[in-house]
Amino acid sequence: MSTEPPAGGAPAPAVQLSAITKRFPGVVANSDVNISVRVGTVHALVGENGAGKSTLMKILYGMQQPDEGTIAIDGAPVIFASPADAIRAGVGMVHQHFMLADNLTVLENVVLGSEPRKGVGLDFATARARITEISSAYGLGVDPDRLVADLGVGERQRVEILKVLYRGARTLILDEPTAVLVPQEVEELFGNLRDLKAEGLTILFISHKLDEVLSVADDITVMRRGTTVASVLPQDVTARKLAELMVGSALPVPELRESTVTDEAVLSVDGLTVVNADGRTVLDDVSFTIHAGEVLGIAGVEGNGQAELVEALMGIRPCSAGTITLSGRDITRATTRQRRESGMGYIPEDRHRQGLLLEATLWENRVLGHQTSKPNVRGPLLDRRGAKADTERIVAEYDVRTPGIEVHAAALSGGNQQKLIVGREMSGSPVLLIASHPTRGVDVGAQAAIWEHIRRARAERLAVLLISADLDELIGMSDTLSVILRGRLVADHDPAAVTPEQLGSAMTGAGRED
Amino acid sequence: MTVGGLSVGLAKAPARRSRRIPPYVYLLIAVGALAVVSTVRVFTGATDLTSSGTVQAALTAAVPLAMAALGGVWTERAGVVNIGLEGMMVLGTFGAGYAGYQWGPWAGVVFGLILGLVAGLLHAVATVTFGVDHIVSGVAINLLAPGIALFLSKLYFADAPGGGQKQSPRLEDAAKVTLPGFSDLMGTIETKRWFFVSDLAGVLRGLTTQVSLLTLLAVVLIVATAWVLWRTPFGLRLRSCGESPSAAESLGVNVYKYKYLAVTASGAFAGLGGAFLAVSSGQFRDGQTAGRGFIGLAAMIFGNWRPGGLATGAGLFGYTDAMALRSADAVHALLLLLGIALIVVAAIQYRSGHYVLSGVAAAIGVLFGWWFFASDEVPPELVGAAPYVVTLLVLGLASQRLRPPKFVGEPYRRGQAV
Repeated sequence: MSTEPPAGGAPAPAVQLSAITKRFPGVVANSDVNISVRVGTVHALVGENGAGKSTLMKILYGMQQPDEGTIAIDGAPVIFASPADAIRAGVGMVHQHFMLADNLTVLENVVLGSEPRKGVGLDFATARARITEISSAYGLGVDPDRLVADLGVGERQRVEILKVLYRGARTLILDEPTAVLVPQEVEELFGNLRDLKAEGLTILFISHKLDEVLSVADDITVMRRGTTVASVLPQDVTARKLAELMVGSALPVPELRESTVTDEAVLSVDGLTVVNADGRTVLDDVSFTIHAGEVLGIAGVEGNGQAELVEALMGIRPCSAGTITLSGRDITRATTRQRRESGMGYIPEDRHRQGLLLEATLWENRVLGHQTSKPNVRGPLLDRRGAKADTERIVAEYDVRTPGIEVHAAALSGGNQQKLIVGREMSGSPVLLIASHPTRGVDVGAQAAIWEHIRRARAERLAVLLISADLDELIGMSDTLSVILRGRLVADHDPAAVTPEQLGSAMTGAGRED
Repeated sequence: MTVGGLSVGLAKAPARRSRRIPPYVYLLIAVGALAVVSTVRVFTGATDLTSSGTVQAALTAAVPLAMAALGGVWTERAGVVNIGLEGMMVLGTFGAGYAGYQWGPWAGVVFGLILGLVAGLLHAVATVTFGVDHIVSGVAINLLAPGIALFLSKLYFADAPGGGQKQSPRLEDAAKVTLPGFSDLMGTIETKRWFFVSDLAGVLRGLTTQVSLLTLLAVVLIVATAWVLWRTPFGLRLRSCGESPSAAESLGVNVYKYKYLAVTASGAFAGLGGAFLAVSSGQFRDGQTAGRGFIGLAAMIFGNWRPGGLATGAGLFGYTDAMALRSADAVHALLLLLGIALIVVAAIQYRSGHYVLSGVAAAIGVLFGWWFFASDEVPPELVGAAPYVVTLLVLGLASQRLRPPKFVGEPYRRGQAV
């Protein structure tokens, strides 16, 4: 057995993964992964999307079985056939997408599957007492009798943590826990994690947000293309160094060359206000103008009205007040199709849900959104030949790596799907491009290519609205920068002068009085 | 301004309207409703609106609906849509007819239950194991069941004494009980025709006189369902399969098992409903269910997927059903009642900001009121449609805050958890 507890005084690692390999048909998700997690520490696992982090954690949580390699918990080798085995060994998982039933109470969600009983009934009193006890022991502040539907995102995450603790976990896996949180909630979560650590629990923290990793982790393991490439200590690396370890090469730099901004206004938005179905004002009196050849970047913590802004501009969401003018024409009441026909291109934030039909071929996806214009239609009918020919053009010009245009969009990698969308939206010579997180979750090569396409289109007098969570991208790619906070544009910055730190504090509403 | 903006953003979302409505509110609503009915009774002279006979008939009509609805709660709480309740009910009626005339009503009930259970099992195999679309499987059962029932009816009943191609021999009814003393006292008060008091007495008398043991069993089953589904670990697990199967799976709940149990139980309840129907009407007849399985589903939706609610819904539909059977006068008075009810709905919807809905409800309400005053009776052809019209109006206009189980009707495959 290769996983004997090490001799000497040091305690056995809480988790020891040795030479883990996992193959799926056609891909090797993990190969020869080695990680050792010390007891009572926060251990971060970082890597790009598709680097194999999630597969590895599913293996550790018993959701999948490794083809090769061994797992040892506290020095003892284990084999997990199901999550139940992992739970029994004291390993708990807090999923990225919360595993909570909205219409059940916190108590019901927590005890589900291991309920205390009184006769055949559920012993609500005991359950309530235990939840309250755990909640106060770790400072989670969870009320057992509230409906989960009424809880905010941060509270739901604490319920997930409580669920795991209730089952007696000593090692917690947190899969991208901060992806859904606003900065204040991230701080609270990190406070909770420090409390848990102080109680001797071990935390495995998966993330690709490097600043957070550096601030909370005791050890960092970097994964790339399915294998572990480095183990570092946070004090020895910078975020940029970590990013290069993740990518395996120098990072492409987003930057614009000379200014191409003209004085011809393409999109003017004046006093735009949007009220959502609950009656909450999600966009409040937003005004801005984008000129031909200008990229306007919108910075903001997710959920501050960016999605609503984009949907209002595209005509997906009705606006309650204000006007939208495109090339001198009032389009406030125009339908989405009319807007697209008058030259709006749109790269949506979620390419799977809004950008593509995954189960349709590439050329059919090419037609989407341009189903009324050449070369896709002839009279009332689809022009299949024209659409296919133009799809071939996009595939060639935008370097979409695909076996052909008859394959389903689902068969492409995220980066290639995104390049197809960019190509589609750039065709028909739009005057305005709305790019919502255009490089989210794509590989570095595709990222550089997409930036280059935006730069080229800008030089040809395209106006671009760029929304992104990547501050370097925003600063590098924008001619003008605005910060959105709680539905309002609160500050303008000069991208040549601003630093990511200044932008970050403006996004949270702090330090705006300078 | 910054600080103000920040604090607004950080403040907790305003607490939602309290979900728990205290019991006395329900009591007040019931008293208010009875007062309105009583007023209409006095105004129109349609004594059948609150007579004990109507209430008895309503109870009898409501029980099969309630059983179908209860079946619906079990299956949908576990995330499986069971539109096949109607077909399962048909099998229940046949089972009761077959066993009932030979071995007595209780054997009929048990046999009907078993046939429904088998059909439920079939639905479970199709939807849970093979992932067939829930509606397709349910419709298949609805098409299959009457055919099977008719075939078997020809096979077994055609030559039986008193039976026929499309009907079974007479069945014996289940025993009935009366609360001694109280029933007579209420009967005396009922005949006085006092405003409200007599109406209350009529309702109470209807509820305590000649009540079938089957009805009592139904009440027990409704209460038991509420307890099992909401107060036991079993029920929590079952409901979790309908609310978030992936969460349930990630906590080691065997989702397939609970879905199987729930769907099978739902078939058993529907079969029981069918058996009640056959036994209480004295025989099995082809086409006897007449859409009651669907009305049961409607009652379940009206009741917001809860036992108490579905009992109310079934009671409401049973009441209109009974009215249609008993007197044309009462159906005419029902127009006015419905008009008033819709105006109330319109007011409530207006207050909660659903203006279009409120307008539609008010318009239809006024229309019914006008119909009442402009005519002396409802055409007999339409009387039979009354329960269905009420169903449609109630579901369309009153039920805007319903909350179905989140994953009901969604296909579920083991291991799809992220």
